Parts: sequence; structure tokens; C-alpha cells
Amino acid sequence: MFLRMIKGTLFRQWKKMLMIAFTIALGASLATAMLSVMLDVGDKVNQELKTYGANITVVPKEASVLNNLYDVEGEESSGAYLDENELGKIKTIFWAFNIDDYAPFINVKAQLSDGSDITVVGSWFNHHMELPTGEQLDAGITSMRSWWEIEDGNWLDEQSHEDADICMVGTVLAKKLGLKSGDSVTVKGSSSEKNLKVVGVFNAGGDEDEQIFAPLNTAQALADLDGCVDSIEVSALTTPDNELAEKAAKDPKSLTVSQYETWYCTAYVSSICYQIQEVITDSVASPVRQVANSEGAILEKTQLLMVLITILSLIGASLGICNLVTASVMERSSEIGLMKAIGAQNGSVSGLVLTEIFITALVGGVAGFFAGCGFAQIIGHTVFSSAINIRPMIIPIVAVLVVLVTLIGSIPAIRMLLRLSPAEVLHGR
Amino acid sequence: MTKRKMFFRMIVASLMRRRSRMLVALLSIAIGATVLSGLVTIYYDVPRQMGAEFRNYGANMIFTAADKDFTLEDVNQGAAQISKSDIVGIAPYRYENVRINESPVVAAATDMEGAKAASPYWSVDGEWPSAPEQLLVGANVAESYRLKTGSYITVSYTPDLESAEDGEVVQDNFIDFEITGILDTGGSEEDYVYMSLEDMEKLTGEAGNIDVAELSISAQSDQLTAYMNKINSNVSTVNARLVKRVTASETTVLTKLQALVLLVTIVVLALTMICVATTMTAVVAERRKEIGLRKAIGASDGSIIKEFMGESMLLGFIGGVLGSVLGFIFAQEVSVNVFSSSISFKPLLVPITIIVSIAVTGLSSLMPVKSATEIDPALVLKGE
Repeated sequence: MFLRMIKGTLFRQWKKMLMIAFTIALGASLATAMLSVMLDVGDKVNQELKTYGANITVVPKEASVLNNLYDVEGEESSGAYLDENELGKIKTIFWAFNIDDYAPFINVKAQLSDGSDITVVGSWFNHHMELPTGEQLDAGITSMRSWWEIEDGNWLDEQSHEDADICMVGTVLAKKLGLKSGDSVTVKGSSSEKNLKVVGVFNAGGDEDEQIFAPLNTAQALADLDGCVDSIEVSALTTPDNELAEKAAKDPKSLTVSQYETWYCTAYVSSICYQIQEVITDSVASPVRQVANSEGAILEKTQLLMVLITILSLIGASLGICNLVTASVMERSSEIGLMKAIGAQNGSVSGLVLTEIFITALVGGVAGFFAGCGFAQIIGHTVFSSAINIRPMIIPIVAVLVVLVTLIGSIPAIRMLLRLSPAEVLHGR
Repeated sequence: MTKRKMFFRMIVASLMRRRSRMLVALLSIAIGATVLSGLVTIYYDVPRQMGAEFRNYGANMIFTAADKDFTLEDVNQGAAQISKSDIVGIAPYRYENVRINESPVVAAATDMEGAKAASPYWSVDGEWPSAPEQLLVGANVAESYRLKTGSYITVSYTPDLESAEDGEVVQDNFIDFEITGILDTGGSEEDYVYMSLEDMEKLTGEAGNIDVAELSISAQSDQLTAYMNKINSNVSTVNARLVKRVTASETTVLTKLQALVLLVTIVVLALTMICVATTMTAVVAERRKEIGLRKAIGASDGSIIKEFMGESMLLGFIGGVLGSVLGFIFAQEVSVNVFSSSISFKPLLVPITIIVSIAVTGLSSLMPVKSATEIDPALVLKGE
């Protein structure tokens, strides 16, 4: 009988029930979309902030200590280098997945044909790597120097010109020498002389504008420094620092075992630095404060902003649902009065009303969840041009929310209905 | 006149008699309006507030010498071209080679307050120098010479030998500095020591030229370009350049963020408005009996629609006013919590919020009222 009554309500009053389901679906979709965007916005903004370049630099240990003792005036050859063969290892650390991009650098002093001094920087442009894990990665400055403006020609494409003597020239130098893409320039290093073909002229808005950028092995060959690397710039996705990270950054040994584990297994910039030092022999990895600190601040603000907007929209959605549920239960007073008149108990009346509402809420909630996933994807694709990761933890949150909201919405209405006296209701008051 | 009076009396009476139900409707309208005014305020304020956060990345414009002489005065002249409220910090730098323990070190002289404002990411272990003869030491220098905060060190400078007359013995100038802090930036700044411009003048014995000035300006990229062109054309001694890496990236990220807030605002707004509309529909739909009764005693469809519309628009108006106030409070809370600064009040938003909420409530009650008037009064009154 109970089931038949419920079925009866759902079918006979399908219009009204559909409206409740629709409102609940809207609320649920809003909650789903906002929660997914909120939980994912950190990663997405982090990715965007990668346009600021590397947040970790790795230099040889000796260089960082001896730099001042030797020569401050320029010549950077302190005799200490990192090993090019170890570069792949950066992608094998615990937080390898968070290493977004990296590029090695070597600065070589060279002379132009007119005898003037010039710095040739060797690096990766779009270096292709096959990692021991089977993963493939294109890393290099093409993506790490996204703010460079190519004024003439193209980015150097390392993959299609293997071992060719090609280079890119900074705009200041190009103007001075009258170079354009397609021209060639002769540079003489300490061990060999090369004739490099210019494929592009870039404007970096900094010191790089007076330098020549060439593939790593081309630059190494100029100074007979095969396999040597001056520094590595690493761009990693990191978690904003907290007290633990600050303490660890000073001295990882001061932590207790469990603190150390938490720190090591969290993507703090200091723990990623520590892990890079573990795999690259005799290296010092340090965060680039300019990028690392600002990223943390901006990330925190964006997340907080989204949390607050989410809370507002959740409150809005819940109150909307509450309202509608209350209104729809109240208007059934005459029906409920009749039921009570023919002897229905308070408990069974409330049970009936609640079951109806919950079946409706279930339908609405499920539909709303999928609609919300759709909204989240639309936001993700329009703003960040990538999909938003829908986390499984959203499902219970939304479910609890829908149940709570419908319950809170129906309780005052049901209490009011129970207080009604059947005679009054049936009389039409 | 009497007709209008009656109209208002009916509306007010119907609102008062059905107080609890109307309160429910009003609440939902007010929430809709709050979301509207709150989110739109945030949307307009985000670029300004976030822009300030982005100043954490440090200088976005640098001044270099256009000709030989480049002094503090030239820097100030250049900075005068920029609106005062946009300037976050100006740090002029003068670099000289000095010696610590007889080995060469690059010393940079700057205005400490300016450097602190222009490069907020500098992390200083200890204190920033605030008095004369205090020194901020880069982390690498500190490590090489085993320098600690609180200790004293002699910095010496060898004056230009060529200017000395024959036979004159050139003596080193030196000053004892107190080390107040160790600077950690992860960049080349760690290789320098920092002192005030006055100390540098005393150490070298000459006023000297500024090498470069870093400016942190709170402005979007087109505004920055405009400033740069203005300075380059108006001040002949200064060569202004933008720090591309900072400006270009800031534009990308800010645009994305604003697009995100916009899209979220639109989605939330659309959904809340639909919620308001369904609530209004429900509230009106349950009064079909009343509509039937009115029709039975001779009310025209037009007058019924007019009365219901009047009622819901009044609700919309009250909800809109409440919402504008609550929305501003919400936006203010967000701004204080997230950016710790207050938000600017947008007067235009108040009428917009009120109009939108009147329109939404009016439109959403129009449909059920219309369908109710189409029904035969006899049927409605009979209870079907």
C-alpha cells in the first residue's frame, strides 16, 4: 500500500515532482561544478604560473661555494660542472610526476669574426627524452622561455636538425651584427670554430638579448666541454610552503622521522630540491625565490577566492532547494488532512512525504551530478583549455549535501502539517 | 486614485496575510540578488587585487642610463611620469667592486625601503639594514666568508688609481659594517652585499652614477607600455624597459583568472536565477484557487495578472535591495579575507541588481499566473 501510494504521488503529481527534481538537480550540478573547479584550480593555476619560468635552479656544489672566491667580474668557468648523463635522473625522483619541464645550460665564451667577445649559451630547445619508465618527454627552453618574442624566423627545432650547426640570436646582438634568420655567424670558442646558421631572432627583454643560444652539444664542442653542464633550471609543480617546509628547508636533519616522511612525500619546493640533490652528483638545488614565493602567494589567494565563491553558491543552492521543498510540502495540506481524517498516524504520514521527496531528490541529485561534471568541463576547457579532474570525493560530498538540504527543507513543513487538525484542513481553511 | 489605492491594499494585504510563504520567496530572491551583486563586484575587483599579488614577482620595469650621467635625480624624474598610486616600489642600484678579507666582492648600494618594496620575494634571515653602516649579505658571500648576522666586517674600496698623481700613495678607504641580515633569493643576488647609497658614497668618496633602477608598477601590460613610451620620449636621460618575463606572464595568468571568475559567475548566476524562478512559480501556482474565485466574482484576466505582477515585482524590489547590501558585504568579506584590502563600492551595481531581480521574479510569476487565468473558474473552485 505504501509503495502504491508513493507511486501514485510520483505519477499523478509528476509535474510538481519534476520541478522539485529539477531544482535539486540544479543545486547538485552547481555544487558538483564548483567543488570540482575549486579542487582543481590549484593545479590549473600552478600550470599557468609555469610561464614565469623555472622555480628551481641546480648548480654544481663547488661553483656555489667558490663563485665569489674566484672571479666576480665575469668568467664563470669555475671548473665545476654537472654531468649531462645524469639529467634523465631528475625524472626518476619521488616527485618526478611534478617535474613539469627542465633544461640544462652551459655558457661558453667565444669570439666573433671581428674579435669581440660573446657568450654562447648551450641548452635544450625541445629535447626529446625516453625515460627508463617508458615515458616520453619533450623538455627545453621552447616551453620554459615562453615569454620570448620571436622577431624573425622560428624557434630552433632540435628534433628535426640533429647535430646541425644552428643557433638563435638575441635581438640586440642581431641588430648590432645585422643578422637575420637564414644568415650565418662564425664563432670561435677555446677549442674549435663553428659556422652557425641563424634560425631565429628573439627578444627576451633581458641579458639574453646579447647572447647566442645553440643546442647543448654544439656549445659544448666550442669549448671542448663534452658532457658538461653549468646549471639546470627545473620547473616543478609545488605545494605552497608551510612551517614544516620552512623548518626542513633550513636543515632536513632537524626533523623527526614522521615529520621527515611527511615533508619528503609532499611536493614542497624544498623537498623537491632535496630529492634532485640526491640524484645529481655534487649538486646544489635551490628554489628561485622570485618564482617560488610568488607562486605560493598567488595560488593560495586563488584557492581561497574559489572556496569562498563555492561556499556562497552552495548556500544559495541549498536555500533555493529548501524553499521549494517547503513550499511544495505545505501545499499538500488538504491531502494530508484527508489522510489524517481517515486515521493515518503522524509517523506514517511523515514517512510517506519524506520517501517521496527523497526519491525525487535522488533522481534530481544524480542528474545534477552529471550536469555539474559537464559544467566543470566547460569551465576547464574555456579557461584553461584542459579537462578538469573530477575527484571521487565529490560524490559523497554532493550526496550528503543533497540529503541534508532536502531533510532540512522538509522538516519544518512536515512539522507544520502534523500540527494541522484534519477538520480544519478539510473544511478548506 | 481609489482604484490604485485598492490595488496597493490588495497587494500589501496578500503579502501580509501569507507572511511565512512570502518570506520564503523573498529569501530566495534576496539570495539570488546577493549572488549577483557579490560575484559581479568580485569579478570587477579581481584584476586589481590579483595584480597587487603579482607584484610579488618583483620589478616589471627597469631604468638604465640613456647617456653617461645617470643619477638618482634622473630616476626620480622618470618615475614622476608614472602616476604615484601605481608605483609599488623603486629601487635604484649602484654596483661597485669592493673587498672583504682582501678578496673582491660586488657591492650593491640601494635604497633599502625601495628594494624591500620592489622585491618582496627577498627572504632575509635577520633584519633589513635600517641605520648607516649596516650591511645585508648575500647567502653565497656569507657562506664563503663564514659571515653571521650581528658580526662586524671591514669592507674596503680602492679608489681609482689613474686619477692619483704620480708618486702619491693611494690608500684604501674602509668602513666597518654591522651585518644585520643574510639574503636568500635563489638568484644572482646571493653573490652580492647590499648597503645604503650614503654608505657607498662615503666608502668610495664620490657620488657616482646609478647603474640600474628597478621599478615595480601596479598596472596592466598596455598601461605599462604607455608609461614606458612616455618616459622614453619625455625624459632623455632615462632608458626605460619592460621586464618581459614578468609582464607577459602576468597578462596571461590574469586573463585566465578573470575568465575563470567570469565563467563561474555566469554559471552560478544562471543556476540561482532558475532557482528563484522555480520558487516563484511554486508560490504562484498554489494560489490557483484564489485566482478562480476572483474570476468567478468578475475580475478580468488583465487585472489579475496586473495584481500578481505587482505583488511579485514588489517582492523582487525588496529582494534586490536586500541582495545589493548583502552582496556588497559578501564581496567585502571575501576581499578582506583573501586579499586583506577593502573593495571599492560600485554604485551602478545597485540599480542593475534591483532591475534584474524584479525582471526575474516578474517573468517567473507571469507564466503560472497566465496559465491559471486560462482555466475555467468553475473547475478550479470545484477543487480539481
